Amino acid sequence: MAKYVLTRIRQSVITMFLVSIVVFAGIRALPGDPALALAGEERSPKALAAIRSSYGLDDNIVVQYGRFIGHALQGDLGNSSRTGLPVSDAIAQALPVTLELAALSLLLAIVLGVGAGVVAAVRRGKTAEWIANALALLGLSVPTFWLGIVLVLAFAIAVPVFAASGFVPFGTDPIDNLRRMVLPAIVLGSGLAAVVMRQTRAAMLDSLSADYVRTARAKGLSRREVVGGHALRNSLVTVVTVLGLQLGHLISGAVVTEQIFVLPGFGKLTIDAVFTRDYATLQGVVLCTSFAYIFINLLVDVAYSVIDPRIRLGGAR
Amino acid sequence: MSTLSACGSLQSSATEVGGERMTDNRPVRDGGTLTVALNADPDKLDPTLAQTLVGRTVFAGMCEKLYDVNEQGKVVPQLATHEPEVSKDGRTVTFDVRKDARFSDGTRLNADAVVTSLLRHRDLAGSARATELGPLKSAKATGPYSVKLTLKQPYVPLTAVLADRSGMVMSPTALKKYGKNFTNHPSCVGPYRFVERVGGDRIVVAKDPNYYDAKDVHLDKVIYKPIPDGSVRLANLRSGDVQIGDQMVPVDVKSALTDNKLRLFNSPSLGYQGIGINVGNVKGLGQAPGKVDTVMAKDVRVREAFELAIDRDLINKVAFQGMYEPACGPMSPASAIAPGVKASQCPKRDVPKAKRLLKAAGVKGAVHVELKIPTTPEWSRIGQVIQAMVKDAGFALTLRPTEYATMLEETDNGQYQAFQSGWSGRLDPDGNIASFLQTKGAMNAYGLGNPEIDELIKRGRTESDPAERDKIYAELIRKVNAEHTLIYLYRQKNYVVTGKDVAGLHVYGDGLVRVKDAGYVK
Repeated sequence: MAKYVLTRIRQSVITMFLVSIVVFAGIRALPGDPALALAGEERSPKALAAIRSSYGLDDNIVVQYGRFIGHALQGDLGNSSRTGLPVSDAIAQALPVTLELAALSLLLAIVLGVGAGVVAAVRRGKTAEWIANALALLGLSVPTFWLGIVLVLAFAIAVPVFAASGFVPFGTDPIDNLRRMVLPAIVLGSGLAAVVMRQTRAAMLDSLSADYVRTARAKGLSRREVVGGHALRNSLVTVVTVLGLQLGHLISGAVVTEQIFVLPGFGKLTIDAVFTRDYATLQGVVLCTSFAYIFINLLVDVAYSVIDPRIRLGGAR
Repeated sequence: MSTLSACGSLQSSATEVGGERMTDNRPVRDGGTLTVALNADPDKLDPTLAQTLVGRTVFAGMCEKLYDVNEQGKVVPQLATHEPEVSKDGRTVTFDVRKDARFSDGTRLNADAVVTSLLRHRDLAGSARATELGPLKSAKATGPYSVKLTLKQPYVPLTAVLADRSGMVMSPTALKKYGKNFTNHPSCVGPYRFVERVGGDRIVVAKDPNYYDAKDVHLDKVIYKPIPDGSVRLANLRSGDVQIGDQMVPVDVKSALTDNKLRLFNSPSLGYQGIGINVGNVKGLGQAPGKVDTVMAKDVRVREAFELAIDRDLINKVAFQGMYEPACGPMSPASAIAPGVKASQCPKRDVPKAKRLLKAAGVKGAVHVELKIPTTPEWSRIGQVIQAMVKDAGFALTLRPTEYATMLEETDNGQYQAFQSGWSGRLDPDGNIASFLQTKGAMNAYGLGNPEIDELIKRGRTESDPAERDKIYAELIRKVNAEHTLIYLYRQKNYVVTGKDVAGLHVYGDGLVRVKDAGYVK
């Protein structure tokens, strides 16, 4: 067991190292000189040379990588070349925003999607199914940006129930936090809710026609027990798998939502860094994301091996 | 410049948009927080290193300068107590600074602080002020509050330069304490002091009790919030989440005309937007012009034909609903120093003449030109309009939308035929001309090399007689326009939309939103 875990950790470290090289080289392969992006309007050869020198951009790429990895190993992701703020601070400030947005959107998608999916399956061929299908189609087709603006016009301007923009931490003011997060969560979660609805509906239709459901009905169980206790419980396995696959989309979809609602999250940080060729911030963001993926994969693999000993045999033999 | 004080709210007739409202003097009450929506996140909050226009707006709240610009676009003393005294040979400049001013860290403003700041602006590695303070040979404190500057050569634009970030004085104590990290702890003399910055989200400043005129500062706090998308800025203004929207684009201003909770401020800008044509940039910026092998580069008649095929009024109407102004020169007619050509005097579209010029140049078939444009909806529209217009004269124009940083790199390196070229504008004409149009100009991406233009730029910099200077710049514009290398198209206007309950705001030609006197109406 210990040998298997060590092997997986070693593989993860190697993957991280390779990712850091790909990230570093990939960002530098982008067209557009960061010194020019930094200098903006007032660029002159002298100023550009000074900028390149002060950020070490005129060094050999291997030297630059060595410096970057050396600092990163000590937990220093450098300072943003544009704002001068520490990258680690920017990430620490942005991460909770995106995580909260993703969590709320996920919650919304589960509640709406599963609810509508169950109704659509149980009320098959009825008006309820037609409405649920139409809503799912809308959720999948409406552009995020358009939906965001419409929701702001309706619920922040015409009927000012929610705020149009900004972020207040939940710990500072929970009510204000939710006032600002509900609309973005609806925008981000609507597409996912539609996917979840369709998946739930399909899985429920399968379950409802399965033998064990017929048996449950024959045993005289109530409709509620049959649908909730048997069909839904079994259908959720597929839904949870889909949700897991969609999580990545949720994080990447946050980019547009954060722009509309001016949320200082990970997506906004990344976009700003790309447009200003802010190497330090971009490297930090991509590395943190990669690290999170690799770490979660490692945890999952180790957990699997604990649950099912057959899995670690491949690595331990 | 006229100020239409009678301008009503935004819901009044659209014709009012053509007028100018730069101030609002209704009495305001003390207290409250004002949120200003900016169109971008500022860069470093260090006056020496800062590069962005949007950053200047934040500085306007917390970093006063030796000189400022007033409503008429004239330079007036701010931290200096009087206009600079210039010696007869133009090489020595002296001025005094206020005795009652303190930096936000509580230390006193004096001549030593001014000298420290000016030399830092000139010498710090990566300084964005180095070029404009290049002629500064030395700076000395001749008394506790008296400063003497010695110049390498007469440099008339200096006063205007000191009315921008080069004239911002920083606390020497803070500079020493924070060094490179000053950007995260900026300390200047200003109505508001820096409180915090959350990257991409907000910059917060609060009323500074150390400020010499603190009794006339009404707001407790100002929050600057970057909201890049114009329609999102407008939605936030309508919802009341922000009270001031900076740099609003015409389409949003027009759509806001129906909202009686909002007011419009506007002023003419000092900048320009146009098309640059590569006539000699083969090796990159700062290198001697060479030969570019395109029809446009080789024959000035072809460039003239291209310009004659363009209808500036139509571009303004189609892309900006007529809310900007056609331009045909580097200097704004609104500039108080050497005003440029008025929009009404710009040459009109003349397709027959354009065709004749192409014929005289011996052009056979369509002239193929590739124009690099930014990836913005505005420039997409402008590009398509130009494409259709120049086709009538015999040009086959291809548009290449290019992301900003990439476009800068390619055009600076000379890898282009024509590109969108713009400038936010400076108060002194020299700041809008010298770097771009002289042979060794730091931003001469066009590869223009005309000794007569170089000579006129040199004379304009050193001529202290305003009337004579006017003549030099008039001649300079004629020469520049005859080259048809930088085809000026339009001048933006600074549109600022505010909540109706906000007063005391100042929006001048330099495009900055000044909040020192701002507050909520009584």
